[in-house]
Amino acid sequence: MALPLFYSWRNLLVRRLSTSLTLLLITVIVVVLAVLLSFAAGIRQTLKNSGHRDRVIVLKPGSTAESTSVLFPEETNLLVQTPGIRFDPSGQPLISIELCIQTSLPRLGYQDSFANVAVRGVDPVAFAIRPEIQIVEGRLFDSGALEVIVGEAASKRFGNLKIDGEISLGRLGNRLYKVVGIFRANNSSFESEIWAPRSMITTAYSGHYTSSATIQCIDESQAQTAINYIKGPSVKLQAQKETDYYQELARTTRQLVVLSVILIAIMGLGAVFAMANTMYAAVDHRRREFAMLRTLGFSRIAIQLTIFIESLLTCLVSCIIGLLIGSAFIAMNIEQDFISDVSFSSLTYQLRMTPTIMISCLILACGVGIAGALAPAVRASRIPILEALRKA
Amino acid sequence: MLYWIYLIRNLTRNIRRTLLTSAAVALPIVIFVLSTSVISALNSYLDNAAKQMRLIVTHKTSFINPLPSGYRYKIEALDPERKELTAVCGMHWLGGKVENDPRLLSTLAVDKDNLEACYPDYHFTQEEMDAWHRDRQAAILGPETAKQFGWKLGDRITITPSLPPYTPMEFHVISTAEHASDPVTSWIRLDYYFDALKEHGFHGDEWIGFFVIKCNSIAGLDHYRRAIDELFANYPDPTKTRDEKSFVNEFIAQQFNLPRNLAILASLTVFVAIMAAMNTMSMNIRDRINEVATMKSLGFSSRSVFVQILIESMMLCVSGGFVGALIPYGLFHWTPLGSMTIPVIQALDIPLLVCMKAVLIAVGIGILSALWPAWLGAKLNVVTALRYLE
Repeated sequence: MALPLFYSWRNLLVRRLSTSLTLLLITVIVVVLAVLLSFAAGIRQTLKNSGHRDRVIVLKPGSTAESTSVLFPEETNLLVQTPGIRFDPSGQPLISIELCIQTSLPRLGYQDSFANVAVRGVDPVAFAIRPEIQIVEGRLFDSGALEVIVGEAASKRFGNLKIDGEISLGRLGNRLYKVVGIFRANNSSFESEIWAPRSMITTAYSGHYTSSATIQCIDESQAQTAINYIKGPSVKLQAQKETDYYQELARTTRQLVVLSVILIAIMGLGAVFAMANTMYAAVDHRRREFAMLRTLGFSRIAIQLTIFIESLLTCLVSCIIGLLIGSAFIAMNIEQDFISDVSFSSLTYQLRMTPTIMISCLILACGVGIAGALAPAVRASRIPILEALRKA
Repeated sequence: MLYWIYLIRNLTRNIRRTLLTSAAVALPIVIFVLSTSVISALNSYLDNAAKQMRLIVTHKTSFINPLPSGYRYKIEALDPERKELTAVCGMHWLGGKVENDPRLLSTLAVDKDNLEACYPDYHFTQEEMDAWHRDRQAAILGPETAKQFGWKLGDRITITPSLPPYTPMEFHVISTAEHASDPVTSWIRLDYYFDALKEHGFHGDEWIGFFVIKCNSIAGLDHYRRAIDELFANYPDPTKTRDEKSFVNEFIAQQFNLPRNLAILASLTVFVAIMAAMNTMSMNIRDRINEVATMKSLGFSSRSVFVQILIESMMLCVSGGFVGALIPYGLFHWTPLGSMTIPVIQALDIPLLVCMKAVLIAVGIGILSALWPAWLGAKLNVVTALRYLE
């Protein structure tokens, strides 16, 4: 027969100071884990939202990102014949040729800190390929005008990007473009960007090259056919599914996750020791009590279980409080930006609390609870009954 | 003497508890030492950058926009006698990759003539500089990059730049810049790169990424920071000039605001250690409440009880702090871990100073965590405590 849950609960309340100190300690570690992982989760989610399996991104072989790729018209012209391409109702192939450049804008909330914000020059077809782009404020730019639309995330994060704001773009930096619209793009990395008519950006940079081409394929299997064709001898360009391209950009986050896990593992081990300490003290104080329980007929397992339950209860409460504090922190610091070491452009992302993070925190808390209670539980169950009772 | 024996006996009477607490303090201290070391590595990198009195001139719109190569001569003309402005060196970022290797390189093509003058802190030898001037395909590798890719002096290596002409280029390793403050970045010659561009039908030698300017005084640094931007203010390509420290800082601030967030992490670990130690100390005092009462009834003052508990806690935490500081120090000085590369800063050095600071912090943890239990012990009512004598 097991001891009632109530018994464990009451025991925790008896040792108020010790319980609350242990609780606080584990809470802090849960908060740290949740916040650390939320950075990586935010970046990953943003980049994941950007890619679609049936879209192919074409770059110059050897370039590492859109910002370092240079495509010439004679190269992009070859893409029209790509097999597996989807056509719009008027019979035009859905290929979006884009020019990616960057402009330095002040980061809001920081003094004298500038971000390298990506500017994407697009033709109307870009919106046909990316239906996720939704104007939420203002209107779309006119193709021949010095106008831009701005991603919602970028407009919150960087200066001068509200409606009617003016930014200077172009290699010469001497042309002022007016912000006429704010768009949303399913929380993808496009929301960190400024979009402008490609013709206006091309002339502003006095170049005739472009950066990348995005092809809308009929479906995912056709995407592979298209990739093979583009990589082949007739086009000789670098092509990959959008999903693969953005996954590669998210590589930095892997290091971040590994680092977080190492840090938390060390802190978690410390917490295990602290927990073991608390539970040992709890066991030592109740030697007589346990001997009594054994005499009453409770098994060794029941005694062990009650120690585990005490420890786990503490950890679960810590986990819940920790996740609440973590979520509150994440909600307060939601907008972040970071500069990619591959594309050199700033990516705005939101800290994110995901189910994976919650489960990781739960595993951490339970792990600490179980590992910390292991040795004390064994000790409690092995208390020599007679000896313990004799001292009563 | 008796006093100290009593203290040590107190710590060893529940050896398991003492060990567990020391470990629970030691592990957060390990993280404290690691994160503080990263901060100090970043700071010393930045301080070195500031000491070198170099300016970085980039395009005003974005550092990724190129500047006309001819700006170099206009900048040089600001101080024709080279009194304060010692040298100007044009640079162009190439990135680069090795075939069938996903790792990205950080390579800069640089003006061959002024590299040495701009980077005296790299202490290039005469031989290295002779080879650099003699060989168009010369490459000076960052020491960390050379180690990672297994490249040695005299090797012929092939790198494909991430920018036009995107074709494999061969280089000869003439130095692995042992004194480099930036262990990753490699340098090749700009003239060789421009020739490769022309060879493949790109015209581009009139554009260059940015300029590095070496000054020889702080006054000169301040003067030219403004003077250069003023000079080009009305040009089609205006410039933005800042010192090397601010330039690097701009990147670091956007890499998760690392120094600030690590400082927060370090202070949280200290908090965790305080919780762990405070728990133990309060348990210790509760266990010995009768003893404290007896001592007080024998004539020990409240103050001496207070101090005694405080010292016990300090000894407990310092032993944890010492182990916690020793672990990372040992790992990074005496094991292969020291040569491990980590993101942003490359090789991590654990300075002795940081370890000493960690031990001092452990003393602080000991005091803070014992304040409450010690106060309880000091204000203990002797009669009440003795009444519950077991």
